[in-house]
Amino acid sequence: MGKRKGIIGNGLCHIYLIILSVIAFFPLLWVLLSSVKSSGELTSNPTKFLPEKFTLENFIHVINDLKFVDNIGNSLLIAFSVTIIAIIISSMAAYGIVRFFPRIGNVMSKALVTMYLFPPILLAIPYSFIMARLGLTNTRIGLVIVYLSFSVPYAVWMLVGFFKTVPIGIEEAAKVDGANKVQVFIKVVLPLVVSGIVATAIYTFINAWNEFLYALILINSTDLMTVSVKLRSLQGAEILNWGDMMAASTLVVVPSVIFFTIIQNKISGGLSEGAVK
Amino acid sequence: MKTKTKNYARWVFVLPALIVVTVLLIYPIFSSVFYSMTTKHLIKPSYEFVGLANYIDVLSDANFYRAFFHSIVWTVASLIGQIFVGFTAALAINRVKHAKGIYKTLLIIPWAFPSIVIALSWKWILNGVSGFIPNLLVQLGICDQLPQFLSEGNIVFLTLIMINIWFGAPMIMVNVLSALQTIPQDQYEAAQIDGASHLQQFIHITVPHIKVVVGLLVVLRTIWVFNNFDIIYLITGGGPADLTTTVPIYAYQMGWGTKLLGKSSAVTVLLLLFLLLICIFYFWIIAKWEKEDK
Amino acid sequence: MRKKIAMLLFGVMLATSLLAGCGEKTQPTTSEESGELIGDITFWHSFTQGPRLETIQKVADQFMKDNPKVNITIETFSWADFYTKWTTGLASGNVPDMSTTLPGQVVEMMDAEAIIPLDDVIDDIGRDKFSEKALGEGEKDGECYSVPLYSHAQVMWYRKDLLEAAGLEVPTTWAEFAEAAKALTKDGIYGCSFPSGASDMMATRFLNFYVRSAGESLLNDDLTANLTSDAAIEGIKYWVDIYNNCSPKDSVNYVTLDQADLYYKGKTAFDFNSGFQISGVQENSPDLLDYIDCAPLPKLNEDDPNYGAETSNIPIVVWKNSEHPEICKEFMKKLYGEDTYVEFLSATPVGMLPSISGISDLESYQSNEIVQKFSNAEKVISEAVELGTALGFDDHGPSVQAGMLTSQGVIEKMFQQIITNGKDVEKAARDAEDELNKLFESVQ
Repeated sequence: MGKRKGIIGNGLCHIYLIILSVIAFFPLLWVLLSSVKSSGELTSNPTKFLPEKFTLENFIHVINDLKFVDNIGNSLLIAFSVTIIAIIISSMAAYGIVRFFPRIGNVMSKALVTMYLFPPILLAIPYSFIMARLGLTNTRIGLVIVYLSFSVPYAVWMLVGFFKTVPIGIEEAAKVDGANKVQVFIKVVLPLVVSGIVATAIYTFINAWNEFLYALILINSTDLMTVSVKLRSLQGAEILNWGDMMAASTLVVVPSVIFFTIIQNKISGGLSEGAVK
Repeated sequence: MKTKTKNYARWVFVLPALIVVTVLLIYPIFSSVFYSMTTKHLIKPSYEFVGLANYIDVLSDANFYRAFFHSIVWTVASLIGQIFVGFTAALAINRVKHAKGIYKTLLIIPWAFPSIVIALSWKWILNGVSGFIPNLLVQLGICDQLPQFLSEGNIVFLTLIMINIWFGAPMIMVNVLSALQTIPQDQYEAAQIDGASHLQQFIHITVPHIKVVVGLLVVLRTIWVFNNFDIIYLITGGGPADLTTTVPIYAYQMGWGTKLLGKSSAVTVLLLLFLLLICIFYFWIIAKWEKEDK
Repeated sequence: MRKKIAMLLFGVMLATSLLAGCGEKTQPTTSEESGELIGDITFWHSFTQGPRLETIQKVADQFMKDNPKVNITIETFSWADFYTKWTTGLASGNVPDMSTTLPGQVVEMMDAEAIIPLDDVIDDIGRDKFSEKALGEGEKDGECYSVPLYSHAQVMWYRKDLLEAAGLEVPTTWAEFAEAAKALTKDGIYGCSFPSGASDMMATRFLNFYVRSAGESLLNDDLTANLTSDAAIEGIKYWVDIYNNCSPKDSVNYVTLDQADLYYKGKTAFDFNSGFQISGVQENSPDLLDYIDCAPLPKLNEDDPNYGAETSNIPIVVWKNSEHPEICKEFMKKLYGEDTYVEFLSATPVGMLPSISGISDLESYQSNEIVQKFSNAEKVISEAVELGTALGFDDHGPSVQAGMLTSQGVIEKMFQQIITNGKDVEKAARDAEDELNKLFESVQ
């Protein structure tokens, strides 16, 4: 009896998961299929699944004429820089909070989450003024600085959770051996929280890679645009070319999906291991 | 002397983050609060101080309340949907014996979509003339006419919420799943010996173990969804007839459309105050849970 | 301890403000003695793709070759983004040296004292070559702030083959138009799409056609909005009827490109646009090129005279922030050089009509295949250019109010309210009128 119920339950779970998987996967599939159809085929036969004639013309146009690869490069460069800077700043701060300000630590990490809740739309206008004053409008550096505004608070908050797991005894031992604070931090503490740092870095990277509003407001030049803004500019182009848009989307989303698949075990640990402890 | 160096060192650790927070968060907030009390216009150099007049204006604007209402519906419906789907998917994956990895990989896909790609792909799939789903529904005989998911007044908001659930559920799923894996199996075994039903096990073992994780997730998602601007802006821009205008969209239209920066700042400051209240409330609940755990 | 933190913070602030000061660096200026042009300029334009973009880039490259110490950076935005960019840019001091713009926005730019007079450029090119009306669109206190680069006007486009198959004549009145559009709405073809996306001005444009055909204007003499005249109310009802019977329902969200794209791909029988329709069709469905043509806008009554509704003289402006207006001006003159200008126009033949006289008769202009093939269209559009004005400039000349009619999406949202929420036409018109008037007050 119990076993049969188990099998039925198991089957139902499979059915449910298959339905969800189809829904989750379909848009990606449709983007891929649309990207290799000719523009005539896209509109003339909307429900035809496989392309009548497989073509790479959309990709060629997007890569050669629209220089989309440059924009992917921009996004990567910006996301990497933000991640590295944010992780350095945040791991120092997180360690500082945990070790040297334990009493106000709890309040601080709550304050940090509060920072995370500042509506980007509220910050957008002041940022455009600040960046203009610094002469950093329409530069990638400007965008990196602005992205720190949402990366650092979130990263500190996540990392505080991880640093709390480091037993103070280990540090004391190292100090006895004559290591100073910075040495203790780099040589003893950091290696212990590497997995937490990786998880945090991935979150930071994803958020920077996906960001849209600030990039829209701060970047003017086509060759400096991040992929999000460039993709949107295709919509405002003079010819509405869904094939181009799908090809460009493919170039963005396929690497992301592969990246996500590879790192899924790392991100899954992120919140539950870190923030809660 | 010794304590002094110690003090320096500890400040060195937190100083960079403090600078970032001060320059990039505290200062902009103050400048927004300041602008919200002026007649600042996006392209005019001069402005006057008007006290709370902008707030009074905004708070007596029926459109603001409508946008606020839309924001609440958007946040609550999206969150319930995301949590329901994410939670059930996690439980199902935890339960099945085969193909766990495949499901996990497939279900995580929407999370990898940047908002612009979410917008483009769904706009294309739901396109009222050449979209796959509308045309399919007609061919299958389910609809007589091409359904207009993004312009029909009754369904456009629902469409947006569905898209948001599609996008947000994977994150919930992944986190719940990893939280589930931290629950010691022997507790379930013990419960089974005691004759507890699946439901009882779920309520007495599963829920208490993961509620703090889920609680935190809810806090983060609430903030994120409430503040979300990209998805709605890129898919419908708030239309048609302002049916999908949430507070961030309303503020954007105020700031960049009508260029009334003062008023727009007032809207965003109100938005921030509201989010603060929500956060305080959440943290109060989570703190209570954490105490119960101990 | 606390003192030290305070000092530290003070130091940080000092460093920040120093950095801020560095932003306002000065650049080398023209060496006036030699007359050689030195410096960098940024040129924003809205020709985001294709031959127009390439032609402009080519001219700029040539200019930089001729003036080796000049560097021209070109940045492109769609028209919708351009508006956001320059308004935000102006607030933060980040505008280009020169840019293209829309006639309705020139007034706003003049009002914000953001651009400079260009009478010297106009005189150098030849003031008498320009149409007085076109120059007048950028005039303030006797000075001209904008120079029209090309002109086009809205006309009615149709599909010859579809009309023929249905045994219909080219409509000349609104009543005939509605009848034909309804008759042609079948088999996956829409008679005419009615676009009213709030981030664009398409519904305002369509309503303006109707209102102008009745000899009315969307603005009163005191520059308040007028959406409640008989003509306006009738016009609103007319377009809602077209939407309900001939248009894809998604068009309630459509902007320029969505709208034109349907015609480009042969999905609509009628559309309203300028000669840009030709290159769009050519690009998307070359087979249809033989079946498209245009005619003057429909009239209210058969025997009414032809009227002009919307002419756009797309201008170039030079921004006040520019450190090198002299380079901008030289570069502009280069653009109007005969060969360059013809090449630029031929990027979208018939789409862009010359804004200066003496071009359209040139052998090099006339030899273009498309110009020859669409000689009727060119004639129809050229006549419409003569008759029309920028939207809202009609009876009262340039005004900020006219610009706001098109930039705020109020009329579009009014249509959305009627279409989506079933709001009463008269009430919707009154509300929209009030809203526009309130917005107008905010800029006084």
